[in-house]
Amino acid sequence: MRQVKVGLAAAVAATLAVSGCGSPSSNNGSSGGGDSKGIETQQAALDPTAKGPAAEVPGAKKGGVVTVYSQSTPSTFDPTDIYYVDANAIAKLVMRSPTQFALRNGKPVLVPDLTDLGTVSADKLTWTFKLQPGIKYADGSEVKVEDLAYAIKRSFAHDVFANGPTYQMTFFKDGDKYKGPYTDGDAYSGVETPDASTLVIHLSRPFADLPFYLSFPAFTPIPKAKDTKENYKNNPLATGPYQFDTFTPGTELKLKKNPNWDPETDPVRHQYPDGFDFKWGGEDPKTQQQVLNSAGEDANALNYGAVDASLIPQLTGDKKAQLIQGDNPCTYSVQLDTRKIPLEVRKAIAKAYPYDQVNKAGGLNSYNSEPASTVLPPSVPGYTKYDALPDLSGVGQGDPAGAKALLEAAGKVGFELSWYYDNTKPIPQQTNQIRVDALKAAGFTVKPIGVPTAELRAKIADYDAPVNMGQAPQGWCSDWPSGSSWFPVLFQSHSISDGTSWGMLSDKALDAKIDEISNLPVDQATAKWAELDKEIMGMYVALPRYYGKLAFLVGANIGGAEGDATMGEPFYPNLYLKN
Amino acid sequence: MEPMVTEPRALPAGDPDDQVENTASAAAPIRTLSKSPTRIALGRLRRDKVAMICAIICAIYVLIAIFAPVLARLEGQNPTDLHQSLIDEFGYPTIGPTGEHWFGVEPRLGRDLFARWVYGARPSLIVAGAVTAITTAVGVVVGLVAGFSGGWVDRVLSWLIDLVLSLPYLLFAIASSAVLVAIFGGAEGAAPEAVARIRFISLICVLAFFGWASLARLVRGQVLSLREREFVSAARVLGIPTRQVLFKELLPNLVAPIVVSVSLALPGYVVAEAGLTVLGAGLIEPTPSWGLTISAATTYYRADPLYLWLPVLGITILVLALSLLGDAVRDAFDPRTRR
Repeated sequence: MRQVKVGLAAAVAATLAVSGCGSPSSNNGSSGGGDSKGIETQQAALDPTAKGPAAEVPGAKKGGVVTVYSQSTPSTFDPTDIYYVDANAIAKLVMRSPTQFALRNGKPVLVPDLTDLGTVSADKLTWTFKLQPGIKYADGSEVKVEDLAYAIKRSFAHDVFANGPTYQMTFFKDGDKYKGPYTDGDAYSGVETPDASTLVIHLSRPFADLPFYLSFPAFTPIPKAKDTKENYKNNPLATGPYQFDTFTPGTELKLKKNPNWDPETDPVRHQYPDGFDFKWGGEDPKTQQQVLNSAGEDANALNYGAVDASLIPQLTGDKKAQLIQGDNPCTYSVQLDTRKIPLEVRKAIAKAYPYDQVNKAGGLNSYNSEPASTVLPPSVPGYTKYDALPDLSGVGQGDPAGAKALLEAAGKVGFELSWYYDNTKPIPQQTNQIRVDALKAAGFTVKPIGVPTAELRAKIADYDAPVNMGQAPQGWCSDWPSGSSWFPVLFQSHSISDGTSWGMLSDKALDAKIDEISNLPVDQATAKWAELDKEIMGMYVALPRYYGKLAFLVGANIGGAEGDATMGEPFYPNLYLKN
Repeated sequence: MEPMVTEPRALPAGDPDDQVENTASAAAPIRTLSKSPTRIALGRLRRDKVAMICAIICAIYVLIAIFAPVLARLEGQNPTDLHQSLIDEFGYPTIGPTGEHWFGVEPRLGRDLFARWVYGARPSLIVAGAVTAITTAVGVVVGLVAGFSGGWVDRVLSWLIDLVLSLPYLLFAIASSAVLVAIFGGAEGAAPEAVARIRFISLICVLAFFGWASLARLVRGQVLSLREREFVSAARVLGIPTRQVLFKELLPNLVAPIVVSVSLALPGYVVAEAGLTVLGAGLIEPTPSWGLTISAATTYYRADPLYLWLPVLGITILVLALSLLGDAVRDAFDPRTRR
C-alpha cells in the first residue's frame, strides 16, 4: 500500500521543548516523556458472522464536532483513486465497502459490511457475495448490487484514476484487457449480478484474499447515473455514517451526519460526533502543540501526523494519555540486488552495515520505529519473531573487521557497491556518508551516486540502473494484513517487471512455492508465510531496517482513539467527545 | 607642458589630484599637503578606536579561519567525526560543553561543534573575500572603460549594468544555483565532496555576478566627472596610451570610493552566503558552514540553544565588526568629515 509517511526520517527532523540545564538531552527535566510501546502481533483476522450494530465503545457520548489536523493533504477522495492511507482511513467514515476491518481489542478483524465475506467455488475462480438488503445512500436512494458491479468496472479505468490499487487487473477475469466503463462500456465478463442481492466475481487465477481486497474504498457502490467521473471526488455519494458537507480541496473537509445510515446494518462504524472538520496544511509541530495543550476547541482536536520528537519531553503525567500509539503495516529495508551481488558478499554487507548510526542520523526513535528482523511487520498475521539471522537484526554498529574477513574468505575484497542517494538534502547526505565510511572500512569499494531530489524517485525505480543496492521499493506496507500482499508482490519473477522487487529474485522454484501458498485458505497460509519469511531472509535479499510505528496526539476531550493497524492511521469510526 | 593645477609645485603624473582635499581642509595643518588622501585616511583610521577594535576582531576571525585545523587539533577533534555514543535515543546530545567537546556536540550525528565552528569561519570569509575581490575588479574595470570611452561602448556597458541591477537578485540566486551545479557536473554521480565544492564555486559565481554592477556604475559616474579634468586632458594631449591614462591617471583618484565600497560589501557577502545557505541555495553538507549549522539548528533551539547561538554569534560579530570598520573607512576617506 502506498504510504504518505514514507519519508519518515525527514519528517522527524526534530525539535525539543524543554530547555536543558547542562546537557541538551531529551531526558532532561522530565522522565523522558513516557514509554514507547512495542509492536504487537495480530492474530487471525476474519469474522464472517459479525452483524450490526457495532458494539458500543464504553463511555461513548454523542454530540460535538471533532477537528482533525494534518500538514499533508490527502491527494483525492475519489473512491476508485484512493490508495494512500490517509484518505483511505478518512473514507471509512463516508464510504461503505463490501467488506471492512473492525477493531476488536485494538486488532483489525475483517467483517462483512455491505455484503458477506463471500463464498468461493471449488475451482477457486468464482466468488459470490450477498448484498445486505435495505441499505441507502445519503440521498435516500437504495444501494443496488449493480452499483457494486459498476464500481468494480470503474476501477479498471486506470487512465482516469491512475493512483488506485491494481490487483483487479492481475486477478480478475479479463483484467488485463478491460479498460473500464468509459472506454470499453458496461460489457465486462468479470462481474455478474444474477439477482438483486448477488454479486459474482470471476477470476483468472485464484485470489484467496479477495474479501480483504474488497475492503478498499474502490469497491464502495457507485450508481452509474450519478458518476461524474473526474468530479466525483468532490462529493462522493455517502453510504457511511457521515457525508460531505463542504469540501475545499487541499484545505478543509467538513463532514455532517448521514441521516440515511442505519447502524443496524453496520458492524463497524458509530455515529457519535455530529460532524468532523478536517483541516489540512497547518504545520504539524504547531498543530500538535495545540492539540497537546487542548485549550478551548483544541481539546476536541487530533493530529494524525507522526508525533514530532520535540513534543516527546512534554508527554508526562496527564499528557501521556494524549499520545495514541499503534501499529503501522510497513517494513523498511535496504535491498541488495541478487543478480549483481553474490551471496557471500551480501552477508559481508550485512555484517558491515551501520544500522544504529544510520537510524540515529535519520531521526528514528522508539516512537516512530522498531528495529526489523523479518520481512513481514508484526502487524501482519504470519509474523513470527524468529531469532534474527546473523547481521539481519536491524540493530548494531556494524563489524568492519568481521566483514573484511568474510570478503577475504570469498576472495572479493574491493567489491564495488553502488547506490543512489539524494545529494541535495542534509539528512540523506549524512546517512550516505555514514554508509560510505562503514562499508569502506570493511574493504568494499564504494560508489554512491548522488542525484537531485526530483530525479531520485525515477532513478531508484529503474532496475537497469548501474547500481547494485538500495533500489525501490525501500520499504513495503500491507495492502491487507496477510502475507499474500507481501511475498507474491516482492519476491516472484514478475516483481522485477512490476518494479516492486526486493533483491531481484527470479527463481522458478520460489515462484511455484509462493503460488502454492497463495492458493491455500487464509488460515493455513499464515503459518506457511512465516516459514517462507525466514527462508527468504536467509537469502540475504535485503537488510531489514525498521518497522513503522504509529504515534499521534489527540485532544484531552477525545475518547475512543485507537490506531488502525491496517493503515497506520487513527480509527475514526470509534471517536467520540467526552463532554 | 605641465598640468594646470593650483598646487604650488607640479605633481608627477598619476599623483592624486589634491584639489578637493586642499579646499575642504583650509584649517588643516600645512603638513597634510605632503600626504595623499589615502595616507590621510589611514592616519585617521588609526586614531579611531572603534575602527581599530573592529579591525582586530576581523583579524582574529581570519586567524581562526587560517588556523582552524590547529585549533581543532588543540581540542583533539575534527569537524567530520561522528560521536553517536553521545547522542540519546531521540537524537539529542547527552553532554553539554565539556573538556573534550568545548562547545558540545551536534544533535543526531554527534559531530564536534567547536571544530565545526572554527572550520565554519572559512567558507564565510573565503566566499566574502573572493566575491568582493571579483566584483571589485570587474566593477572597476567596467566602470573605468564605460566612463572613459563614452560612445557606443559606454551605452552597451551601461545597458549591461542596468540589466544586471534590474534582475531580482534573490530569485535568480536561488534559481541559478541549481543550474550552475548542473553545468559544472555536480548534478549526478559526483562524490559528496565534489558536489560541495561545486556548490561553493557556484555560490561565488552567483554572488559575483550580481555584485559588480553597482560598483561599476559608481566608478563610471566618477570617471565621467574626472575625464574632463585638466590633468586627464593633458595626459591625452601628451599621447599617453589609454590604458595608462585609465590605470595611472584615473584609478588613483578612485581609491576612496573603491575602498569604501569594498569595506561595505564584505559584511554584505558574509550575510548573503549564510542567508542563501539557510535557504538551501548555498553551501551543502559536508562543508562545515555557519549557515548550514543555523538552518539545521533552528528546530533544536529550545533544547540545545548553544547549537544555534554559536554560529549566529559568529556571523553577527563578524558582520558587525566589518560594518563598523567599513563605516569608519568611509568616514576616514570622506573629505567632509572632520573630527
